[in-house]
Amino acid sequence: MSLNEPLVIEREVKPLDFLAAGETASEFKDTLRSLGISAELCRRTSIVTYEAEMNIVIHGGGGSIAMKMEEDKITIVASDEGPGIEDVELAMQEGYSTAPDFIRELGFGAGMGLPNIKKYSDELEIDTKPGKGTTLKAVIYLDSGEA
Amino acid sequence: MKISEILRQLGATVHVTAGLDRDVEVGVVGDLLSFIMGSAPEGAVWVTIQNHVNVAAVAVLKEIPLVLLASGRTPSPELEDHCARESIALASTGLDAFELCGRLYEMGLCGSRRS
Repeated sequence: MSLNEPLVIEREVKPLDFLAAGETASEFKDTLRSLGISAELCRRTSIVTYEAEMNIVIHGGGGSIAMKMEEDKITIVASDEGPGIEDVELAMQEGYSTAPDFIRELGFGAGMGLPNIKKYSDELEIDTKPGKGTTLKAVIYLDSGEA
Repeated sequence: MKISEILRQLGATVHVTAGLDRDVEVGVVGDLLSFIMGSAPEGAVWVTIQNHVNVAAVAVLKEIPLVLLASGRTPSPELEDHCARESIALASTGLDAFELCGRLYEMGLCGSRRS
């Protein structure tokens, strides 16, 4: 692969499809590993992807998730046309969640998704409009090592 | 300690026998998937009462070699299939999570060494 040309993989995420959840994260992880990316960066990328994927599954009403691999960084972009996030600052707080009870019973909705994404990425941008949807962009630099 | 030896000492019911000769030294307990995602050390044994398929997804990403279901929980068929596909050992026991962790600790396993 030429590193001058970014590698982009995009996958659809279906709403409330808990069976498929995690498959994109696994695929991205395997792809990075096959490109010789360190185990730590593979893990960080897969955690960010999984949490973003689950947010789309649970809240976003479906959407897409993409990974872009460039010479110096990995970028994860997760987009949905769901209800948006009313208060991003509040949503970033550990323990805050709007997930319904049946989701919580599965062990999700603990209010740690966005905090985990922030913890494992180097840069995080959330562009959201209530009623319109949310686009999350997380960047992990290849020279950043452990989060 | 080898996974097979842990399972033998626990008298656990083994549902997926993948990778039983792997060694584990660390354990983690929890039923919140994001908590495990955020904090489990890689390669840890995971004790949980969650028995659905997303447990396997988290185990794959965190490179967890053994999932132990506590309190008599049995795995859903999807969880069993997914663990088999991903070579994750899966076992269950009637012990509750507290007791189970105590037994693992007695066997020499410890919690995360990270501060």
